[in-house]
Amino acid sequence: MTSNIMQISDLTHRYGRGAPVLQGLNLSASPGEIIGLIGLSGAGKSTLLRCINGLVTPTGGTVEVFGQNVPKLRESQRRRVRRRIGMIFQEFNLVDRLSVIKNVLVGRLGYANTLTSCLHLFSKLDMDLARSCISQVGLDGYEDVIVRNLSGGQKQRVAIARTMAQGAEIILGDEATANLDVRTTDSIMELLQDLSRKNNTLLLLSMHNLDVARRYCPRIIGLKHGVLTFDASAQSLDDSAVKEILVT
Amino acid sequence: MKPGKAIATLGGAAVIVLTCALICWSFYGVDFQLQGLSVGIPKAGAYVAQMFPRSRADFLWIKQFCFGGGGGDASTGITQPLLETIQMAVVGTVLGAIPAFPLSFIAARTNSFFRPLSVLFKTLLNIGRAIPILVYAMIIITGLGLGKQTGAVAIGIGSFVMLCKLYAEALESVSPGPVEAVKAAGGNGLQVFVFAMLPQVFPGYLSSTLYSLELNLQASFILGLVGAGGIGFELQDALRIYNMLEVGVLVLVLIILVNLVDYFSYRVRVIFS
Repeated sequence: MTSNIMQISDLTHRYGRGAPVLQGLNLSASPGEIIGLIGLSGAGKSTLLRCINGLVTPTGGTVEVFGQNVPKLRESQRRRVRRRIGMIFQEFNLVDRLSVIKNVLVGRLGYANTLTSCLHLFSKLDMDLARSCISQVGLDGYEDVIVRNLSGGQKQRVAIARTMAQGAEIILGDEATANLDVRTTDSIMELLQDLSRKNNTLLLLSMHNLDVARRYCPRIIGLKHGVLTFDASAQSLDDSAVKEILVT
Repeated sequence: MKPGKAIATLGGAAVIVLTCALICWSFYGVDFQLQGLSVGIPKAGAYVAQMFPRSRADFLWIKQFCFGGGGGDASTGITQPLLETIQMAVVGTVLGAIPAFPLSFIAARTNSFFRPLSVLFKTLLNIGRAIPILVYAMIIITGLGLGKQTGAVAIGIGSFVMLCKLYAEALESVSPGPVEAVKAAGGNGLQVFVFAMLPQVFPGYLSSTLYSLELNLQASFILGLVGAGGIGFELQDALRIYNMLEVGVLVLVLIILVNLVDYFSYRVRVIFS
């Protein structure tokens, strides 16, 4: 039995005086798991992911990642946790004006010296690692290409290479394939699956496409109005379960 | 027609009527007469015509004025005042841009500074923008006296208030996505700025600074008229002695200079955008 890399207990969050976005959520996950997170827009999926890497401080509950309660950490300590958690986004969130390799090197910022990194000076080790990550996502020869000249699928590959350069033990995907066509979605999901298998990386991927979730995620969790209403294997996600999660 | 739509239609009509009334009132207020223009334009044309060379002697004078040599009233040349104008504009732009860079972070609506401080700073900037550079120069003259330094400092203040606003607008337009991505990768505040924000705002900063340099060339020309030196000062001198040929050359030089800077700015913007 593998130990939990992430343990969330009674997680609650609300923005300002608004309605609660997350309500008493409990969740645990082990290294190497691939978890699909489904739910309607506004169900709290993005907030949950951001509570895990400390970009959002929840109003209640605990989020233990690598044995540390993230909401209780100081910002500098959170940064040390964050560098072990990769995040990929629907809009890729790359710096369009920078080259592929510079975007991948962003994954090394958490480890690099602030002054030298701000001068865009990275160690040979970091440069070699970045090149290797670019090669692993199938973008050999694209190192110096400016990111805005890439297709959506290539951009998402760069984003994945960035998380690989981080040495991420957890990868959070926020609708990572929502802007991609069916073929590109499959290739990105296969790449992530492969990455998880090789490095024992935990993947927690929010998505709207149930078919993709069923095919690539052995475990599915469903969020409805900030409450965890489903947590079972992909085979258990039948029509009635889907209706329960997705019908308001 | 629904009451809401009727009110909107009436409101639109009222705006059109008020705009027309404002235009008519303004034309009436300035005593605008087409008849007056028909007499005035030829007169102005004759005045401008005096700025153009008409004889070989005029061409020789221009050659001497532009490239030096010889004697007489053209021997002082245009090179020195031209360089002074450029220097005033460059120093003014640098004096404005350097403090505007860090302080624009306070002015940006998306900042994380103490809100009342930001509002107060923006109010001060708005007041500063409403004051013409000429007024700054008049105030600075009391401390520094007449001269190029006064002109450069006045231009610097004008540039500062303008660039603060433009830099702040560039910061406000930063896409939050890359910022979040660098934070999510464990980047600290400085790394977030350098890797996520700077690449997005740099073309805007550069474009604003070069635009400011263009405006500052014109400002240094105008400040020269009130004694700050440079081409403007030469122009004032030429107007005083009614040397229209010199006035023509000076205006032409300014036109060439502004267009050269405009072309240079365009090339730089193309490279960096």
